[in-house]
Amino acid sequence: MKSTICACAALALLGSLGCHAGPPTPPSTAPPRTLSPASPPPVPTSPPATTAPRPAATASTPSAAAPEPSRSESQAIVIHDGKEGFVDAEAAARSGYTIIDFSDDWTPFIFAAQKAPDGTVMNNRYRRVFLGLANDTLDEDGGPLPPGEKNFLELYGIPPSFGVLRERFLANEQQTCHASINLEALEEVETIAYVAPEKLKTEDGKTARLRRELEEARQKNKAASLADLAQKDPSLATKVKAYEHRTAEKAAMTEVEKRLACEGMFKKGLRHATGVYDDGMRMAVRRFQQKNMIYEANYLRSKTMDALARPPLANDHLAFMRVLRERVVAAAGVVEDGSVEGKSGAPTYTGRSGKPVALRNLVDELTQSAAEQLGLATQEGSLAFFKRHPAADFHRLRVAVRLPALPEYYAPDMDLSIVIDRGEVWYHLPWDAKGVRHAQPRKRYPSFHLYLKYNGQRILLARWRTTIGGWRAEQASDGYEYFRYKGSDIGSRVIRNVVAGPVWIAPESTPIRSLIKMKGVRGAWQRVVNYDELGPGYLSAYGLVAGYFVQAGRNGKADWDNGIRAHGSSDYLSIYSSEGYSHGCHRLPNHLAIRLYSFILRHRTMRVLGDQGMGFARQFLANDDVFEIRLPSRGYSYQLEPPLPVDVLEGEIKGTLKTPVLTYVPKPGIKYPGPPPPVRASDEGRAGAGSPAAKSDGEP
Amino acid sequence: MRGLAKLAVIRKGRLFAAAAASALVLASLAGWAASKGKQAAAKAKEAESAATEEEVPAARPDSVRILIQTVPPRKAQVKWGGKLLGVIPVPRALVVERPRDSGPLDLVIRAAGFLPVHTRAYTFTDSRVAVKLTPPSEKSTLFGYREEPAPNPDGGVPEPPTPSPSIPSP
Repeated sequence: MKSTICACAALALLGSLGCHAGPPTPPSTAPPRTLSPASPPPVPTSPPATTAPRPAATASTPSAAAPEPSRSESQAIVIHDGKEGFVDAEAAARSGYTIIDFSDDWTPFIFAAQKAPDGTVMNNRYRRVFLGLANDTLDEDGGPLPPGEKNFLELYGIPPSFGVLRERFLANEQQTCHASINLEALEEVETIAYVAPEKLKTEDGKTARLRRELEEARQKNKAASLADLAQKDPSLATKVKAYEHRTAEKAAMTEVEKRLACEGMFKKGLRHATGVYDDGMRMAVRRFQQKNMIYEANYLRSKTMDALARPPLANDHLAFMRVLRERVVAAAGVVEDGSVEGKSGAPTYTGRSGKPVALRNLVDELTQSAAEQLGLATQEGSLAFFKRHPAADFHRLRVAVRLPALPEYYAPDMDLSIVIDRGEVWYHLPWDAKGVRHAQPRKRYPSFHLYLKYNGQRILLARWRTTIGGWRAEQASDGYEYFRYKGSDIGSRVIRNVVAGPVWIAPESTPIRSLIKMKGVRGAWQRVVNYDELGPGYLSAYGLVAGYFVQAGRNGKADWDNGIRAHGSSDYLSIYSSEGYSHGCHRLPNHLAIRLYSFILRHRTMRVLGDQGMGFARQFLANDDVFEIRLPSRGYSYQLEPPLPVDVLEGEIKGTLKTPVLTYVPKPGIKYPGPPPPVRASDEGRAGAGSPAAKSDGEP
Repeated sequence: MRGLAKLAVIRKGRLFAAAAASALVLASLAGWAASKGKQAAAKAKEAESAATEEEVPAARPDSVRILIQTVPPRKAQVKWGGKLLGVIPVPRALVVERPRDSGPLDLVIRAAGFLPVHTRAYTFTDSRVAVKLTPPSEKSTLFGYREEPAPNPDGGVPEPPTPSPSIPSP
């Protein structure tokens, strides 16, 4: 479980990130190129030079036009009369086309190299790692990925590059082992119940006994089949159903194993016994889920089973559409993804005409539009695309499409704000003195809302599930772990800084055990500081991007930072779990956090501060070895000017305890040397206490 | 050699020798007091440090140079996983050259009479890793040290119940 305490860089960031004075400066990058709603898209000034077809890569290539390779970085593919051709990208953009970056060195806006006002390029040090991960060339530390290894990081916010997808498509088209998989057996069951390895024998014995019992009954009743038996003797119907279900699950399990093996999901070094849901199997399922961006626990549940029952190329096409979606979102600079739609459909706002206008799902609409224009909306179309474009094309491939006009409320500087509803909140300790967990049911979960103020209206653009803080383990000054309530502050805040590739400076209250991990280093396993948690990286406690909540300082006073952030997270299950809590921060899946902050940065006045170098080092002791945390940078910072308003709603407090507990609580079953020490009287100690808004002068 | 750490041991600089010699000559000529001589020695020591680093050949543009030292300076073995990078040649630093942006190095530094230190060096840019060493007798000064609870003085008498959480469960 990830330890995502948010106390983090509070102190460290106050000085360098919080209070950059000076006049607001315009964004360092141009706003997204999108069509003006008023002007119909004209023909590009430089007509597409359609080219003579060239031989397709294989005989089975569908009837797509075959262009010559892209000629230069200034050109983009455009579809003209159903054929691919090239057009000058800048001219096309001026003519109302949107240029979508299909190259393998694409990153989301937040990781792109920005320019300072004087034209100096301000590189993001995580960009290289992001690209290496997307292209299956680097590991999470930025070291070379072993040959043949795959990253599969969509669930963590890093989609594969088109070059990687191309390989996947072409390999799956040639793959023959899928032909032996019985997809019908997989479709027969919705899920496969988990049976612990140590209970498998018992379960199999039960199934065998049931089979014998039913077989005897079938013969006695002279039934032709078990279905017939259930009709003749309805009292046995439940048993027949249970037996058939278990039998179908067993058959499906066999096919799951074949499918996972065929896709190379079983990792070397992790043993798997046929028919057993052991660690080898669990890791293979997890890998499959990661490959197909399935938000489910590592079991054979419905979404996982659906994907296993789909042909590989169908899954590849879904992956292609997801990757295309992120490229389109980045090119168009949109965020509306239909998440605000309710049972009655999309909410409306009053347009300039005075008539109600339904809020569009621009993410899906624009993605679909681009896919259709490019002939990529089908599996066959995307396969043909990859066949006619060699890998080298994707080094710098761009496409020009005419996307539907954006809504009238779009502008370079939009009046955006964030509201977080904490939902139903429990302050009670969820364990009793014996360590037995007590349920704390919630019907209304925390939610993250992005609003736009437009023509006197407040329009909800996106609404996502998020997290609030809860009871967590924390290391006290006596070196022992206690429980502590790490709540989410309520009241008005602002986001002044958005940090891409943020680094989480683990506070001293972080349990030591979570700061160390085993790692293979040049042929030897050794204990290392767990930099996965610290970042920058997709596994970082702050995810790939974070917005830092502060109370804006007034009258020359500094911002007050209580360590709460709204950030991306690799711990996606904590976001969607009924029992998932953070250490006070508001987590979003990494890909949504990237979209959110890219959108905000591109539609608000902001300043690129760039890489926030620091020379942080801290030592700690673990089992008579000294471990040293070394962090060279806090991340790549952007400053919003003015800062983005945030309001955190208290939510509904459940149970009898109406205020958070501010002291340490001993963990059941642990022998302590004395009573719990007091919580540290510092920003770090205060962080996440769920405090209300501070006084209006900005003092805590 | 590409992909492998290239090691170079820093040599004492001629600059140091020149600076020290000049300082001594100047001092004797001026007839300065002994205290002045101490100041010159201190300056010479600074010069030694500066010269030491300056003498290391500049890293190629596609490489970075990492200087590894300990505080206090000790002869220490530096390992990167299963690979021995070298021994810190006190009072000089161990210099490691790596391809630029080739990922971090997780190092273990071992010096006799001190606790091993696990640290990390980065390859974004030239850097210096100065690792503080702690003798076992001072480990209680490190964060994370914890005193074990005293053994139960009552021998066979059952322990009292574990302190119960002070917060009511729902």
